[in-house]
Amino acid sequence: MVTIAAIIYEPGNSIKNKTGTWRTFRPILDNEKCVKCENCYIFCPEGAIQEDENGNFKIDYDYCKGCLICMNECPVNAITKVREEK
Amino acid sequence: MIEIRFHGRGGQGAVTAAQILAKAAFYDGKFCQAFPFFGVERRGAPVMAFTRIDDKKITLRCQIYEPDYVIVQDATLLESVNVVEGLKKDGAVVINTVKDDLDLGYKTYTIDATGIALDVLGVPIVNTAMVGAFAGVTGIVSIESVKKAILDTFKGKLGEKNAKAAEVAYNEMLKKYG
Repeated sequence: MVTIAAIIYEPGNSIKNKTGTWRTFRPILDNEKCVKCENCYIFCPEGAIQEDENGNFKIDYDYCKGCLICMNECPVNAITKVREEK
Repeated sequence: MIEIRFHGRGGQGAVTAAQILAKAAFYDGKFCQAFPFFGVERRGAPVMAFTRIDDKKITLRCQIYEPDYVIVQDATLLESVNVVEGLKKDGAVVINTVKDDLDLGYKTYTIDATGIALDVLGVPIVNTAMVGAFAGVTGIVSIESVKKAILDTFKGKLGEKNAKAAEVAYNEMLKKYG
């Protein structure tokens, strides 16, 4: 991904950098427990948590860096962590 | 001369690991060098660092292109970086992974350094454990010198914990491959 001298050849290419491989812990969102308060969506520094068409929140593991802020902010503990096996 | 390349992610301590390994070699009475790869140093980006160890004075000042050993601090780097690039035929890889069946085309030593770091330090920062593991599989530096170098680099409790992490990794490697 990193080009020589970190040259950017085209705009909007940071989407190609799948930062999800950085994770040590993977957050798991339990939609049964979720009360749709949107806290995780607001606090996620990567914008990796989005609402889908059914109103459920989904974590985009391609970009989630596993910072676990969502887990910390979730008021009903619907988000748990598991260690990434790599 | 023994040349070692560290692969890590920015913030994982690859550069510090290279320095600790060099210091440990120094305490063993050898000549040494440690330096980073000068590139894009930002948190999470793939980074490299290098260590040279020799019994006589080292006059080389260039980057290491054909290392004898490669230490990989994060197995997901395999997807984005060719970690064995330029590695000598009889070289070896020490890699932090939970898998046992990695085939990199070279002699490979695996260790769950993240598990050790989480156990001992409480954070997934694996550099000291990887140096301990390297000492365990190669014997190029003694674990006493590694611990001394770690205590010298990190002050107080942090140093003690990191020295413990290195020792745990060292013993695990001895048990697994010794």
